[in-house]
Amino acid sequence: MNHVIEVENLTKLYGRPETGVLAVDHLNFEVFHGEIFGFLGPNGAGKTTTQRMLTTLLAPTEGKILINGHDLSRDSYLAKRQIGLVPEESNVYTELTAWDNLMFTASLYRVPRLERAKRAQELLETFGLWEKRDVKAENFSKGMRRRLSIAMAIIHKPALLFLDEPTPGLDAQSIRSIWELIRSMNADGTTIFLSTHQIEEANQLCGRVAIISHGKIAAIDTPEQLKANFRRTQSVEVAFEGELAEKSSGLAELLGVNTQVKVGDKMRLYTEDPSALLPRLIQYAESHALRIISLNTLGPSLEDVFLEITGGQVGAVGNESQNDKPARRGMGGRK
Amino acid sequence: MNQWIERIKNEWAQAWTVAVKDVRVYYLRPGMIMFGFLMPFFMFFSFSVRRELGAAEGLARLLALTVFFTAGATGPFIIPTERRIGTYDRLLAAPMSLLTLLLGKTAVGAFFAIMVSLVALLAGLLFFGTIIAQPGLLAAGIFLGAFSFSTLGLVFGSVPTTNPGDVQMPSTLLRWGLLFISGVFIPLSQMAPVARAIAYLSPLTYAQDLMNHAVLGSGLINPWIDLTVLLFSAVLFLWPSLWLHQRARVLGR
Repeated sequence: MNHVIEVENLTKLYGRPETGVLAVDHLNFEVFHGEIFGFLGPNGAGKTTTQRMLTTLLAPTEGKILINGHDLSRDSYLAKRQIGLVPEESNVYTELTAWDNLMFTASLYRVPRLERAKRAQELLETFGLWEKRDVKAENFSKGMRRRLSIAMAIIHKPALLFLDEPTPGLDAQSIRSIWELIRSMNADGTTIFLSTHQIEEANQLCGRVAIISHGKIAAIDTPEQLKANFRRTQSVEVAFEGELAEKSSGLAELLGVNTQVKVGDKMRLYTEDPSALLPRLIQYAESHALRIISLNTLGPSLEDVFLEITGGQVGAVGNESQNDKPARRGMGGRK
Repeated sequence: MNQWIERIKNEWAQAWTVAVKDVRVYYLRPGMIMFGFLMPFFMFFSFSVRRELGAAEGLARLLALTVFFTAGATGPFIIPTERRIGTYDRLLAAPMSLLTLLLGKTAVGAFFAIMVSLVALLAGLLFFGTIIAQPGLLAAGIFLGAFSFSTLGLVFGSVPTTNPGDVQMPSTLLRWGLLFISGVFIPLSQMAPVARAIAYLSPLTYAQDLMNHAVLGSGLINPWIDLTVLLFSAVLFLWPSLWLHQRARVLGR
């Protein structure tokens, strides 16, 4: 069997049919064995609701979920044995030590007694917590709690791991280390279902991505294929010497520019045809006696695709964040 | 068949795991100490000081109070707290039945109640020289009472909320109400017929009567009826808890 998750017409309505909120609207998708599947969507799109239904925490209003062939509505016990869950909040027992948290979870999932200590030690070492094994989790940093929470979710070696927003609020180092852990777990054969609104996270980790918007799947494909389908969000990024504001006032008027967005000390011009825009841009610089210090053409980023699909304004958010890195096609920096 | 035996063994072990973890995590929490451990003693002293009360009679009353209050305080505190910090999802997502989880939670309340009532019992034996008329009946009464009132508390704990205060207050209010109609402060024999009829609706009446049998050697109701009612109510109170959990799963709370 190649499908780890099969979802048919999955629907969740909160409240009464006439006045309630339709959080998830007839979703259909599959997750294949051994993949990292990204579930990407803005806040309130229905990601967490879907994940809670997939992990038996929430009853669907309608539809069918199969986990490794087990129908969750009839056979949840066998499905639950194969699932690990890392919710958005690191749900560790702060009054217990890291070691006791792991031993509790191992016991809860009926990991054989002789294997518990061995497995807990392996995980604590892998997650860099071995030295802190006897420290109560209340003294842990957010990143350490997150790692402990993930360790607790995989101590029974689940075939399928659900991760809900694993990295928000963490420093860059913790984020990198959690990404590495996710890749490593996946390399060991664990299928990963990753819910996130961090586009770069999905871009970095996922083999396939489903973009959910208003409770419906708007697109589902590999990140690169999604980007390829949205060529109209290509852009040219230019930086001039001196103050940007006064030198870029006429850029939006150039033929072929759809949107103009300030990105740090650069200006990003969205266009459907970068090759046609480039000579106009150079001509603009020459006619205004401007010195170009960098000029790049950019392919559509996953964020552009995401915003296009979810109805956001392309380039309007996060344009100075570390996560906003459109795919660079040909580094055309020139002076 | 072997599969089912294995499953039952697993579920039993999981209930035990949940109970042991909860005991370790929550026994020193202020909410537990206040509502679970100290409240029965406050209640006892509030209504017993300066009243002519024999040591044995006082001990029977205190035992019923501690079993009742401590066991009933656990569910309304622990479950909403766990819902708030997200650890309850870990338990709900684990491969065990909801009944197993609830039995584990029931066992926590029962354990705390048994421990606190043992403190009360030791105090009665050591400081007041009380003699227990029927020790076996006392053990059965404390055990069954603890489980029965723990499942009563679980009903409130199962209300889908993340704020313990939302259910602790109504639960305390109900328990106070039951206290006054259940023959704890006014013996059943001194009640008017109508009041006594109402008292028979409360499981605490049977726990108190059982303590009277065990400590004083006499009660108003047949002790077997007391034991049966406590056992029956322990099972009965699990149903609304199960229903409320299923409801929370549908409502998404």
